[in-house]
Amino acid sequence: MKSSGPSVPLSDGGEPNAPAEDLEDLYENAPCGYFSLSSEGLIVKVNQTFCRWTGFSKDELVGRRLRDLLNVGGRIFYETHFAPLLRMQGFFNEVALDVMTAAGEKLPVLANASERRAQNGDVLFTRVTIFPAAERRRYERELADARAAADARNRDLTERWVAEREQGELREQFIAVLGHDLRNPLAAIDAGVRLVLREQPGERIATVARLIQGSTLRMSGLINNLLDFARGRLGGGMAVQLDVSKPLKPTLQQAIDEIRAVVPERVLQMHLEVDVPVAVDHARIAQLFSNLLGNAITHGDPLEPVNVDVATRAGQLTISVANSGPPISPAAMETLFQPFYRGEGKASQQGLGLGLYIASEIAKAHGGRIDVVSHANETCFTFVMPIV
Amino acid sequence: MPLFSLKKNNVHQTGSGITPIVFSHGFGCDQNMWRFVAPAFEKDFKTVLFDHVGAGGSDLSAYDSVKYGSLDGYADDVVEMGRELDWREVIFVGHSVSAMIGVLASQRAPGMFSKLVLVGPSPRYIDDEGYFGGFTAQQIEELLEGLADNHMGWSAAMAPAIMGNPDRPELAAELTNSFCRTDPAIARAFARTTFMSDNRADLPNVVADTLILQCADDIIASERVGEYVREHIPGSRIVYLKASGHCPNLSAPDEVVRAIRSFV
Repeated sequence: MKSSGPSVPLSDGGEPNAPAEDLEDLYENAPCGYFSLSSEGLIVKVNQTFCRWTGFSKDELVGRRLRDLLNVGGRIFYETHFAPLLRMQGFFNEVALDVMTAAGEKLPVLANASERRAQNGDVLFTRVTIFPAAERRRYERELADARAAADARNRDLTERWVAEREQGELREQFIAVLGHDLRNPLAAIDAGVRLVLREQPGERIATVARLIQGSTLRMSGLINNLLDFARGRLGGGMAVQLDVSKPLKPTLQQAIDEIRAVVPERVLQMHLEVDVPVAVDHARIAQLFSNLLGNAITHGDPLEPVNVDVATRAGQLTISVANSGPPISPAAMETLFQPFYRGEGKASQQGLGLGLYIASEIAKAHGGRIDVVSHANETCFTFVMPIV
Repeated sequence: MPLFSLKKNNVHQTGSGITPIVFSHGFGCDQNMWRFVAPAFEKDFKTVLFDHVGAGGSDLSAYDSVKYGSLDGYADDVVEMGRELDWREVIFVGHSVSAMIGVLASQRAPGMFSKLVLVGPSPRYIDDEGYFGGFTAQQIEELLEGLADNHMGWSAAMAPAIMGNPDRPELAAELTNSFCRTDPAIARAFARTTFMSDNRADLPNVVADTLILQCADDIIASERVGEYVREHIPGSRIVYLKASGHCPNLSAPDEVVRAIRSFV
């Protein structure tokens, strides 16, 4: 190819003395680098712009290969990727390369190339266009770094999440085993106390035995809550066995009697009005009721009665348990039904914080819910479920 | 037995011959690398083309960074393919890094490969004491950096439709979209596996009849490296091609075909 020749005017307008806009000047001083490779891949023609950018003279560039202008890493990449790509599709576009300048500096560029072929398919020459891309490369690197950082953070969070979940599962399994193992000795204590009471002991011994019996009952309730919680968390869910044939009243009465035995000094007022049969899981409803009662006893004013109202009306069963005393703070209302929620009372009065959680799970399993209303002189928990 | 490899390695078999000739591509592209070479063997052989996991049309979900962290993982895949397709005494043609994958596979499954054709082989790219590989460790790091830079340029290079090339009708749009396109993370990992490999100790154990095809002016696997391979594989032969560069299967397919023909 000729590297110079007669100028071809592109336009005849403009100032007579101004540099002519001709093809030669367009090639030499274009705002991009141009060079052409022979069929053997050697540079045969190169423009001024590319020489200026790289600091090489034309003579230094002609006869070299494109890959000779790259650093070693770039050469390997060129040989394994871009050279095959060029041969396969006849061109490549927007390829990122680092050209090594005469001063030994890296010049980040983007390159396009296209092959010119003869009729028989042989490569005649290949044209390459070069655009500087330093800023673009910097920006791309920043994006790549930001992405790498985000990926690393993601991995870190995932690992932490997995670790925490595993720890949580372990804790819940531990609770399940613990709860189960505590039941047996408790049953033995309960049987022992019953035996003592049957022997008609003196008043002092009988009082102590009843206290033990009350504590046993309370502890048994706590263990049941624990086990239910663990089962729910471990994926067992809360299963209920609904029984419509059994009357509800004796179930609730027994729960009241058990509480009364433990705190004979407290006044429990019960108003029961169950007119229609209700399909419930009796053991579960007893547990729910017992949890609500225990809650009222613990947090209510000891000098005031606890009022229980049970009714079936408008297709619903409602069981409400109300106590006097300081109200529940709005903040506490938010987390009342969360597992391991601890109330605001004295530490000695605290349970595990599972009572209300379990009660609400039982309510859900019956298709119902527990509402709570708390103001200056009364706090009332109401269980509502539809009568199907 | 279901043929897992057919999907996993995107295996394509054609040809009317009986003896399989397996073409294995190197780092950079996929089985299209053989498109000008493989058809010449379809009359006399059963040609088998495939993509290594992570390249071309392979099942990317099968990519496992631990398994493919060494060339053994790729060699295991070749052997697995051979077992599923019942290869006995077949010919294996491996380009670039696949030359060493073939060397490893042939030792893993004695009797599976009777002949190896190694195109531009290198048992180790990084120089070592008393060994010339052609690269320093730092230069290889530069390569891996360069891969990161071509994330975006790379996908953009794939995008343009092939329509502007009426003189290359054999290039379907589908080819343009998949040829050489690699998940950048996998490309980086494969580059690391390739250029950090050292299989010099495996060369003396090759029992298959071996032909080395050495290009002129190949910066990736130079003549000195090709000579080293010839010296260390017992009974191997070397043919010097006139073709220059690292991919004679694309730049001088006729010469490659002639050399392989005279060997098989």
